[in-house]
Amino acid sequence: MSSVLGRVVATERRPNTPHEFHFWTALDSPVGIGTIVRVDGRDPVNGVIPHVYGVVTEGFSWTDLASPLHDVMGFDGQPGSDGAQQTQRAEIRLYTAAVLRHVPEEPLQPVPMGTVLLADESDVAVALRMDGYLREGARTGIPIGVYRAGGTDSPIYLDADFLLGPEAAHLNISGVSGLATKTSAVEWLLQSIFTHFPPQKGSVAAVCFNVKGPDLCFLDQPGEINDADRALYDSCGVSPEPFDRVSYFAPYKSDGVSLNTLRSNDALLENVTALTWGLREVLQYAEVLLNKDDIDAKADALIDFIKENVLDKRFVDPMLERPHTVTSFADLDAWFRDVLRGLEKKDDQSWRTHHVATIRKVRNRLSNISLRCKGLVADDGATSDLPFGSFQDRTVYVIDVAGLEEDAQDLIFARVVTKLREHLEKRDLGVQHVVVFVDELNKYAPADGPETYVRKMLLDIAERGRYLGLVLFAAQQFRSQVHRRVVGNSGTALYGRMDGDELATPGYAVLSPAIKTKLATLEKGQLMVRHPHFTQPIFVRFPRPSIMRGRDGVSRYPQAATPTLHAAVLRTLRALEPSLTLGWLQDVTQLATDDEILRARNDVVRTRPSDVRKAFAAHFRAAVAPRTASRASTPAPLPAVPADDPYGF
Amino acid sequence: MQRQLAALLPQARPAGLGESTLEVAGQGMDAPRLISATVLEGGALRAHRVFGAPATQFRAFLDGTQRSQVASYIGHVPIVLGHAAAVVRERRNRRMHTWDAPVVESRVYCPRAVVGGTVWRSLQAEYGALLVDTSDGDAELTSHPFSLRDAAVHRAQAHREALEQQLAERWCRRERDPLFIDGGISGNEAVAVSSCTVGVVKSHLTLYVEGDGLRVVAELAQGHRSSVFRITSRKRTTVASWYLRLRDPAGHDPMWGLVRVEVAHPAPDAADRIGERADEVSRWILAEVAPLALPDARWDKMVYGVRDCEEFLRAIQ
Repeated sequence: MSSVLGRVVATERRPNTPHEFHFWTALDSPVGIGTIVRVDGRDPVNGVIPHVYGVVTEGFSWTDLASPLHDVMGFDGQPGSDGAQQTQRAEIRLYTAAVLRHVPEEPLQPVPMGTVLLADESDVAVALRMDGYLREGARTGIPIGVYRAGGTDSPIYLDADFLLGPEAAHLNISGVSGLATKTSAVEWLLQSIFTHFPPQKGSVAAVCFNVKGPDLCFLDQPGEINDADRALYDSCGVSPEPFDRVSYFAPYKSDGVSLNTLRSNDALLENVTALTWGLREVLQYAEVLLNKDDIDAKADALIDFIKENVLDKRFVDPMLERPHTVTSFADLDAWFRDVLRGLEKKDDQSWRTHHVATIRKVRNRLSNISLRCKGLVADDGATSDLPFGSFQDRTVYVIDVAGLEEDAQDLIFARVVTKLREHLEKRDLGVQHVVVFVDELNKYAPADGPETYVRKMLLDIAERGRYLGLVLFAAQQFRSQVHRRVVGNSGTALYGRMDGDELATPGYAVLSPAIKTKLATLEKGQLMVRHPHFTQPIFVRFPRPSIMRGRDGVSRYPQAATPTLHAAVLRTLRALEPSLTLGWLQDVTQLATDDEILRARNDVVRTRPSDVRKAFAAHFRAAVAPRTASRASTPAPLPAVPADDPYGF
Repeated sequence: MQRQLAALLPQARPAGLGESTLEVAGQGMDAPRLISATVLEGGALRAHRVFGAPATQFRAFLDGTQRSQVASYIGHVPIVLGHAAAVVRERRNRRMHTWDAPVVESRVYCPRAVVGGTVWRSLQAEYGALLVDTSDGDAELTSHPFSLRDAAVHRAQAHREALEQQLAERWCRRERDPLFIDGGISGNEAVAVSSCTVGVVKSHLTLYVEGDGLRVVAELAQGHRSSVFRITSRKRTTVASWYLRLRDPAGHDPMWGLVRVEVAHPAPDAADRIGERADEVSRWILAEVAPLALPDARWDKMVYGVRDCEEFLRAIQ
């Protein structure tokens, strides 16, 4: 039972309302901004003593001085002469609290006069309406952290129905960079979700886009945490272990040999898979890479024509020199060359209603894609993709796009999310809920700027994803720079330490100056949480994730040196057939070009044959087996000279 | 109370709301006077510098307040409602806390001899022991409304002094540490003879000096005191007293920053040490000049502990 720490006060100039009240405390009271308190009313209403729960949003202090000048006079202008003051002036600590909940809810009246107590754990649950979703048998609480004030340590739960759908969904986190808040908070929350997501709600997986540095590259490696973090883990009922099921995906670098990721150390490659897409995969999302200036109605029509009639089909036309079966960018380029050559021969300006200028433009733009996204897009049409259809419960799929050009990042993001959506709609993804984590959201869904495919897609997820189980966890430094509909549809919002300029934007006008000040000075590991059940923002602490931090991982598992072609291919194939040796690979490919070797590798990776050795070798011309020259035991007899030989002797 | 009186006495006419208290309205009505006093320290009254650093010795401060207002008139006779209160505020770790409990009481003042028996009986039936007869024992009381009003104020003042003395007596019974009392201590014998009480008077309507002594007092410098003298009265206990200048009076009137201190009269065997006692107590008082009692208008003479008492009483009344 908490002891009384304050009393409600109301004056004509500073009255209480149903949503706000004021109270004073002793000078040594543990109350601070963000503290949750309970008011016990004096007089019963309808026979019930009202209880009001509130969170402190503002604090005031003053003395009985009428003018600062009086204090100057009292100290004789010497601020250091405190020893002369035998008595401290009368002083007040007055706090303003925003109401979280009235019990009973009706009649809704101004907060009554009464005593103020520090909220204990059960009070916090009632104040934040967590009691509604922490009931045994219907528990949907996901711990987000621990509320701490005046000796009270109380886990704060988010409602899974409002975090991962269907009631509400999505999470947005803002905060300045470099304070280990945004990414750490999401990592911690994913751990919490994987531990506490109610079984009756089905399965859940996460797809994380690693957009910068090594942030998400070591989610399966243990990190160092201290006792305080362990206590927080313990309070929240989460085991302080790294994720046990993580799959990494990264495209190749432009050399097509080494993976474009900071997780390239040999010791960690077991769960790293190459991400390569062919022409079909890319052409489906051509508009991601081609902006409005590129794609007018005519160009759009030609691309549609290619998708419908050329791609993966045998295409025959009298104007063309030969039939084409286009499965790769190389095939497509050959097809374009043939078409343009035919037009030149005919000296014609259009083919099948498509003007030659349009054809050239589309050729130029599409050919460019394979250059701009080299490493991701395979010229040969090879595809290595996420396991759409067989996603595993409580598994994190990390797609490392940190080293890619912006276009390639956009392409990966658009395609992966669209595929997730398609599979969730068909209920054949393998899991019922997917959390998609995107950092730097202000880049993908900016508040202003041109309408892009990615932004449209993010808006669509934000507005409709909750019905599908497609949940967006997004982070950015400046919330004000993100599209309003994206952040507005985030049921849950987290705030780390904020920049003062950002706090001055209109989106934060609802926060009191004290809350803004607290936000501007938050420590690492502290968050302000807004959630549909919480009528006011709440401050919580969360533990440092028990995951190896990116920079620790990079120093412990340094990047592998760029391997030779053979070494890189062998490493890939060994994942399928560990008995392969470098000598065998060199023998098999001794007459092959680099492209042929890569094509063979991609084909094996895509088809995953039972006999890897045989399937890989089948791609190459059989080299003539070396034979040792042998001398005949008896020399062959010289042919007999013809009898009529004119030169005979 | 106005509603009660209207129900009780239909002829009662309520006074206007929002009028200032009688204490404010009647300020400065008493006439200033000079009274000669016997000097206990040396032959003639002179100035003494208080040597030594100010010392914090007062553990608590006592003050009382009164507030009286005319509730209604019966004819020209005011029925006055008076409140009196007193409190001891104890200093612990440089913060002020209430010692024991404050005393707060109210009274209804009415001149029985003027209002007549019927009205008096009605009032007595309603207010019982709270009703005070302002004409009792005052043969000089006239029917002038101002005179009647002043009589009520004086009764309220006496009530306040009684409450202060009640608390001071309680302190003297229970405690040994010095108590700073706002005002004189001679009104109560137990308090006046106690070694732990020090009375500090801010009002100088009555000056206990004459002739050259008046000039000495008026010209006292900051941190100086006058010689100790004896104050004797028929109705009050004899005490030792002296004037003390708390603040530099330069640029102000002669009474600025001047207080008169009262302590218990020394026993005959200690009479020669009264000067030392005056210096000691003066050092205690000089230690209280900070913090300033601003914004109170009497801040030059008032110590902060007394202001704290007044603020406390204002809050609870």
